[in-house]
Amino acid sequence: MNTNERPDSLQRLVHPAPRAPQLTGLQETKSAPQPAPELWLAIHLSQLPLDIATRGHAERRACVLVEGGGTRQRILLANSEAVRLGIRPGMPLGAAHALGDVTPLPRMPDAEDRALAQLCAWAYQFTPVVNAVPPDGLLLEVRGSLHLFGGLHGLLSALRRGLRELGMRAFAFSTAPTPLAATWLARGRQAATVDTLAALPAALSALPLEALRLPSRQLQDFSGIGVHTVGDCLRLPRDGLARRFTPGLLRDLDRALGREADPRPACTPPARFASRLDLPWEIHHAQALATGMERLLHELGGVLRARSALIRTLDWTLHHRDGNAVRHRISLVAPSRDVAHLARLTREYFARQRLSSPVRGIELLAEDFEVRTTVETGDLFFCGRRADGADERWPQFVERLQARLGPEALKELAAVPDHRPERAMRLAQFRPSPRRSETKVAEQDDAHRRRRPRPLWLTRSPLPLPEQNGRPALGGVLTLGPERERVQGGWWEGADLERDYFIARDENGTRWWIFRELNGRPGWFLHGVFE
Amino acid sequence: MTLDEIMRRARLWRAGEASAEAGLPTGFPALDAALPAGGWPFPGLIEILSGPPGSGALRLVLPALAQLAQAQRWLIWVAPPYQPYAPALQAAGIDLSRVMIVDLDAAEVSASAGLARCGAAPQAGDGQVLWAFEQALRFPGCGAGLLWPGALETLTLRRLQLACEAGGTLGVLFRPSEFAAQPSPAALRLLLTPQPAADVLDITILKCRGGLRARECRVAL
Repeated sequence: MNTNERPDSLQRLVHPAPRAPQLTGLQETKSAPQPAPELWLAIHLSQLPLDIATRGHAERRACVLVEGGGTRQRILLANSEAVRLGIRPGMPLGAAHALGDVTPLPRMPDAEDRALAQLCAWAYQFTPVVNAVPPDGLLLEVRGSLHLFGGLHGLLSALRRGLRELGMRAFAFSTAPTPLAATWLARGRQAATVDTLAALPAALSALPLEALRLPSRQLQDFSGIGVHTVGDCLRLPRDGLARRFTPGLLRDLDRALGREADPRPACTPPARFASRLDLPWEIHHAQALATGMERLLHELGGVLRARSALIRTLDWTLHHRDGNAVRHRISLVAPSRDVAHLARLTREYFARQRLSSPVRGIELLAEDFEVRTTVETGDLFFCGRRADGADERWPQFVERLQARLGPEALKELAAVPDHRPERAMRLAQFRPSPRRSETKVAEQDDAHRRRRPRPLWLTRSPLPLPEQNGRPALGGVLTLGPERERVQGGWWEGADLERDYFIARDENGTRWWIFRELNGRPGWFLHGVFE
Repeated sequence: MTLDEIMRRARLWRAGEASAEAGLPTGFPALDAALPAGGWPFPGLIEILSGPPGSGALRLVLPALAQLAQAQRWLIWVAPPYQPYAPALQAAGIDLSRVMIVDLDAAEVSASAGLARCGAAPQAGDGQVLWAFEQALRFPGCGAGLLWPGALETLTLRRLQLACEAGGTLGVLFRPSEFAAQPSPAALRLLLTPQPAADVLDITILKCRGGLRARECRVAL
């Protein structure tokens, strides 16, 4: 009991809104109440433990969260599939099993904490003031963000879409000028949007006391004296309330009504991204990992948007049943934060993988944030397809091919000024960065060589040709053309060439580029095909 | 649904109707004159049926490829039968910085699909090859996609033709002449008959959207 506070509290009862600023006295004469300076949006995730456990699976099973041990296991939460079977929270697990095929899941407080922290980092893209309300709530101060999202309605639909992408299925929103009131209203599923302090007592009065999450003992006491709602509670004399119950309750009520300051620590978004998703039932095929991976990529996308950053690598770790953790790195050619693109790359990459053993958990790590101060328009106008802007999407196109076919499958071709045929070209791993046209430079270098006929196709390496009566054969005997081109040199690189090249014709009329080796192993070799 | 309604659907092509596609000059006046669009149907899928590589099919499209590269479009060669030889391509006026080769041998992806090295065409069942080719055709930055397939299902050909239309690209299939009798949704089908005299090709136009101007023509390469 706190006797010092009493006169103060009494005074507050007389003036229920002392926070009304003194300087704006002129405006107060208007009848319309001013909106409160802060607007708190509370998100209540009523099934957070179930949602985070099942969001990695595309398949929807009836799942229940259980507490207690042995035969006394009781159901704490049931998802909508389980509710459809007739399963209700509070039932013994045995009874639930009798109603249908249901998967019981244990509580994982660590995973819940981590998920809530991830949600905070993700929500930072909507407002810089984000606060976690353990174990299943978030608070966002959104007054300054309303304009950006086109009003509260726009903000709520963006949040709704975002939460669904993360795999959250049950959530409720409420807004109020104080954080506590918003939290209580969201928990009470009131979906209230209270804009002014003056409207708060009315909005809170119908709220059942359960929304305050009081100790069960206190709740019983209240119900014993016929107090069931916040309104009932507010009608009680303050000193009596403080004496009979904890002063904490009175303080909470004052905070909820905006009579007392309620400072909230702001959460700061992390400088790296690491998130893990546990799979309650194992995944055997790489393709089935896509759902869980997309959830994590949406988390990452939110964090990247919040920090206006891009990333270059995705580090996936798969936790297998046999205890192995296998790392898979996907490197991007151009930094990106486009979730659809990252998901496509990941899908293509894992479509090539075969799982060594079933997967129990997926982890995503992204550390190399590249902070961009300029606004990226790519996310907004990604679907625009302009012929002149096609090159902007070229890196993403190349990445997609590389993700599926392997980076070494794409080659670029260059001409090298060298008179030895196999050295006159270079076939190297493709780099999607724009290259300058090399044609003009090379043209001058080997203008003299262009008079020599060169085939359009070269074999990967010279193929030895059989001989018939001392003449080269390919199917039948080849007819040699009249021109002979002597190619020699290369001793300075340890590979001395001495060859006579001919154009030879077979009976179908196809022209082959063949040579007679004059140095080392003598014989005829096939080196190319003319078209 | 009446017959008239079916006729009015955009996807139905009637022989003899003028095509809306613009032509991409082939670089061979005799061939341009024979084609209703005055060149390669662009965008569109073309099939060039000929003997094995070496029968002149590639040379027939080189001028068009050079033009596309000049226009900053990519030339994507999917699983070519041999290595395209850079000096010869350069001599044909092709900007090599616009060439990308999808070489599945190197990636060892096709090892299981049984892609033989020299001269053998990829099998129709090689999903990666077809996937890469279709992606190339669908990509607007690509000018032309080149593929050397063997047997292909009509449905696959149809997909590829639609991919060309979606991406605004030229798809070129180099196929053995034994597939000449197969019905195909490609916009243009040519059968090449090499002449013993070098650098002359006899072309039979098997099918052409927009009606035939001539069934046969001779081209000096």
